[in-house]
Amino acid sequence: MTLDLAVRMTEFLLGFALLLQSVEYVYSQRRLRWVFLLRSLLSVVLISGYASEWTTLLLWGIGVFQLYRFQGPYNGGSDRMGMLVLSMLALTYWLPEKRWQELAFGYLGLQLILSYFISGWVKVVNPEWRTGAALRNVFEFSAYPVSESLRGWAGRPSLLLFMSWSVILFELVFPFSFLHPISLTIGLAVAATFHFANACLFGLNRFFWIWLSAYPSLIWLQDRVLEGIGG
Amino acid sequence: MGLSVLNWIAETGRLLLPVLVPSWRFFDEIAPSPRIEYCVSSSATLSDETWQEFWPRPVYVSVLKMLRRMIWNPRWNENLYLMSCAERLMSHSTRHSVDEIFDRLIADLLGGKYEQSYVQFRLVFLYWYEGKLHRQVTYLSDVRRVSGDSCDA
Repeated sequence: MTLDLAVRMTEFLLGFALLLQSVEYVYSQRRLRWVFLLRSLLSVVLISGYASEWTTLLLWGIGVFQLYRFQGPYNGGSDRMGMLVLSMLALTYWLPEKRWQELAFGYLGLQLILSYFISGWVKVVNPEWRTGAALRNVFEFSAYPVSESLRGWAGRPSLLLFMSWSVILFELVFPFSFLHPISLTIGLAVAATFHFANACLFGLNRFFWIWLSAYPSLIWLQDRVLEGIGG
Repeated sequence: MGLSVLNWIAETGRLLLPVLVPSWRFFDEIAPSPRIEYCVSSSATLSDETWQEFWPRPVYVSVLKMLRRMIWNPRWNENLYLMSCAERLMSHSTRHSVDEIFDRLIADLLGGKYEQSYVQFRLVFLYWYEGKLHRQVTYLSDVRRVSGDSCDA
């Protein structure tokens, strides 16, 4: 995959994710409605691919404003990833040399790998995760399950143990998928399924779309690294 | 002037650094989980306190609704933001978090039968300890009029 194609795919997917978030905000809040209307409009422009260097810069500016306004990300990790994708996309457009552009875009791919691996590492060193107790707590009393009926899963220790180890192993093994194009395709498909399940069970739909927008950077990075090794 | 610029740079750095160099420690531990509860009264003294959960989750969500929420989930995402505000309020008490919670509470009550009433919220944290689920009230807000004005009760 060429850098141009990967960047285009990223801005398309990111634009879609930001559009969903912005329209949701316009619908639910009267305050700052004009800011999010502008963000919606810029997201559509980003999807279209018109004047992307200025669009990413303006969206980045709104992103910094949001960090101030909400005293941090509005929706935790998903907004952090959104700003990271936007920052690296803007840098890719604005950095003068191709080598630096590749470094910025490659950094996004690297962070994507780390996002899974570090999450897996902090879980595997925690005995509560290894025994399934952590997931029991998530279902029993955390704010995440989307319905009261899902809280019943807290009483199914075998299922939770299986789910815990599935998540831990997937997150720890994910970096190895980088070694071959086929394994990366499988790795990203499993990762997308993981985010889809999180969206259904815990309402984390923003994670699904934002993480998806970072996938082209990893596919491009793998091509670039393998091409470098092959000479 | 110079100091305010330095403060601005420091604040921007504090907000941007975790974005550009994220920690990615998702669910490393399952911390006590907040619930926002509120009570409404016609008097500012709120003598008759009946607390109810703000935006409680539904009993059941169908598969179709889960799929629809993949692209449209404004209330839930706003609720997650309020949970962040509740957690921030416990780690370092800020007026910002209090105002954000009150904004949503009052907007929800405005236009209904509670107009011109008084509202107060509290934070209840749920946690697992020695094999049992515990609830602890950790924060009690001031009282505000549902019209949005502050009130010294």
